[in-house]
Amino acid sequence: MISRVADSCFWLFRYIERAESCARLAATNHLIMLDAEHDRTERWKPVIVVLGEQARFEELIGKDRYHDDDDAEEYLTWNQENPVSIRSSLYWARENARQLREVISREMWETLNTAWQWLTSKAAQREYRSDRSQFYRRIRSLCAEFGGISDSTMLHEEPLDFMLLGMVLERANQTARLMDVKHHRLGGRETLETPWQSAQWVSQLKLCAAEESFLKRHRAAPTGRRVAEFLLRDPSFPRSVLHCFERAEQLLRRIEAATARVAATDSLQCLQAMIAHLRQAKITDVLHAGLHEELTRVIETGALVCDHLQRDFLNPVDAPEPEPEALSQLQRQTQTQSASPSSEQSQSQG
Amino acid sequence: MTISGVPKLPLFADYRPLPGTYDEFFEAPGQPRSNMTQVLRALDKLGQREFQKRQELANSAFLNAGVTFSVYNDERGGERVFPFDLIPRVISAEEWDQVERGLAQRVMALNLFLRDVYGPQKILAEDILPQRLVLGSSGYLERLRGVTPPGGVYIHVAGIDLIRSPSGEFLVLEDNVRTPSGVSYVLENRGVMKRALPSVFKKLNVRSVDDYPSVLRDTLLESAPGGSAKGSIPPPHDSPVRAVVLTPGPFNSAYFEHSFLAGRMGCELAYASDLFVRDRKVYLKTTAGPQQIHVIYRRIDDAFLDPEFFRPDSLLGVAGLVSAYAAGNVTLANALGNGVADDKAVYPYVPDMIRFYLSEEPIIGQVQTYNLSRKQDLEYALGHLNELVVKAVDGSGGYGMLMGPTASESEIAEFRAKLEANPRGYIAQPRVELSAAPTWCDTELAPRRLDLRPFVLTGKKTWVLPGGLSRVALEENSYVVNSSQGGGSKDTWVLGASRT
Repeated sequence: MISRVADSCFWLFRYIERAESCARLAATNHLIMLDAEHDRTERWKPVIVVLGEQARFEELIGKDRYHDDDDAEEYLTWNQENPVSIRSSLYWARENARQLREVISREMWETLNTAWQWLTSKAAQREYRSDRSQFYRRIRSLCAEFGGISDSTMLHEEPLDFMLLGMVLERANQTARLMDVKHHRLGGRETLETPWQSAQWVSQLKLCAAEESFLKRHRAAPTGRRVAEFLLRDPSFPRSVLHCFERAEQLLRRIEAATARVAATDSLQCLQAMIAHLRQAKITDVLHAGLHEELTRVIETGALVCDHLQRDFLNPVDAPEPEPEALSQLQRQTQTQSASPSSEQSQSQG
Repeated sequence: MTISGVPKLPLFADYRPLPGTYDEFFEAPGQPRSNMTQVLRALDKLGQREFQKRQELANSAFLNAGVTFSVYNDERGGERVFPFDLIPRVISAEEWDQVERGLAQRVMALNLFLRDVYGPQKILAEDILPQRLVLGSSGYLERLRGVTPPGGVYIHVAGIDLIRSPSGEFLVLEDNVRTPSGVSYVLENRGVMKRALPSVFKKLNVRSVDDYPSVLRDTLLESAPGGSAKGSIPPPHDSPVRAVVLTPGPFNSAYFEHSFLAGRMGCELAYASDLFVRDRKVYLKTTAGPQQIHVIYRRIDDAFLDPEFFRPDSLLGVAGLVSAYAAGNVTLANALGNGVADDKAVYPYVPDMIRFYLSEEPIIGQVQTYNLSRKQDLEYALGHLNELVVKAVDGSGGYGMLMGPTASESEIAEFRAKLEANPRGYIAQPRVELSAAPTWCDTELAPRRLDLRPFVLTGKKTWVLPGGLSRVALEENSYVVNSSQGGGSKDTWVLGASRT
């Protein structure tokens, strides 16, 4: 498939995942904060920090506005200057889909387009004002519907593989960031094993949509150690870092087979190294060396894999060598080729 | 009157045709044309109130499906729905038979003309067309003389604009043989129409338009380099021939159509930046490395295709594409340099081309045209600008034209200066009273003028899509049907031969 199209596929699902995640964070945080155990003055800060939006929020809304539900939720949901607001994510998802209409199924396009028409309608505004939890639930349902329709209407081939790859890498990133922020809020490594803050651990599980799964796995109260291990490397929890990376690896293997790669790409090697590390590491050692350091490594690996994906598939700089018989004529053509990468750069932005 | 403001009456109860104009449905007020009675009866039964409901349903269907065109001057950088009118434009089997033959004849002659002017130039040698007019056309690419595309096909896709005169005769208004657009709306309109008016469809024998993408795909594949010599083309899934649709990108007004056609043909939609040329062959940048491309259905104008050939200062296009084309390694559909054939100053000579190349009389007539490079024509036009329609010879989309009868003094003065400075750049035609059809205008049916753009595909043989895009001027008294200028569209029904 066309590299540029693969790139759009990759981003389409990342944006959908971001919209879903943002709606979940907003709705869950809203509920968590109703419980008495929590510090209310900075109630929205962790969520804003997870999304990487601290600086912009403080500039646009104010340092002292983290306690204000309306300000924070407006920012997370509607703010067009916030690139990860639900509105922005769905906008960019639709823009990517618009450039993929010949690739995605008609139902996928219509689902997303209808969702966008709704989000920008008065009806959506009304629901946001009158029944906020229903509003966020609807956003999450739309995202789930889109994923389900994609799965049931697209060929399970390269384009869908790139989409899912974008989704699982985004998920791994989100989980790691959530863990990292919460961990900081609890004051770093010393407090990790302190059970008295179990409400905090429960809320972390909730934010990751992991509460039910965790209880099925452990049938015991969440401790920092259990929660960290679960979110980091439970083999079956769909948002655990290890599970997401393992799915990414499977998808990349399929893509490499479809594109007839002779040797493993840098993307795949990078991912496999991280997976091996996550599987082998003892959780005590990880916690001892520092959960923050481990999570930083996860986040950086995710970014590195994305860089490699660019070079390996999505935006290859150089085309492979021409066939030998073409070499004699190549000299004359040299000028021709050197012109194309620059034109590509300027257009891909458009 | 009902709450919604629409009375519960038969649909056509209050309809009055426009005086002095051919009405597509009625001979006179209350008097349907004999071949339209069946259609009218089926529509009439719905009643006005129900019809309005269905019209609203259709509108939201277009919005939800995202069937849109992009508008450059829209602040929101937006997409707009092409307004759609639920009253179909209906053409009888007999009428269509003649139109179909006439279109095939015309496209064949235009294609032979292109092969000739980029080859031996017999038509110029015999002085059928003035040499200066042809070779001086902005669409003529002298440097490509001697390059013949595979199979000699230049016009794989043509959109020939037809209008109906007050006598009911179809006339060619314009030829579009570069990158005509609109066919996606034909298919989308039909889909919505079937959902909105299933009962009406059931009663009539309307010819299907769904074959277009597959015929287009076959047309492209059989036009591949070497395709003409090899005979039959293997089915697409194991065909070694690889075709793409080339689009300027999502900000182009016809982007939806480019994507639509690529999707329906099952081929890839490429931007110029996805392609590169090496060793005079064209390659697509894919996740599996470069893949050679044999056929490009390009929806980019000549001037933006290849900066090496056309505009060294431009970053748009695929550098070296023309050299690959000239080497016979890639088919461009449509071919390069077709602009000389739909130059509006060449248009008056198309009947002569038909006679010259085919030794036939034209089956479809055309509109009388003043050739402003002739002195007496220019003088006449300058003296009658307030009666004439003036068009730039290389214009399209309804831009850069003067509608004399409705123009302001200053517009007329502006065009007078343009004509005097560059007579070769313009043509003038009397304003034809385009035919009108009943069209839903808010709460009632009113006559609105319309044209028809049928689509003609040519590979190894020529095929005419039954129907085409009927564009309708939604504003009262307007003659301009372009989507960019407040036009809408209607589904076009070609009726099958009566099943008796």
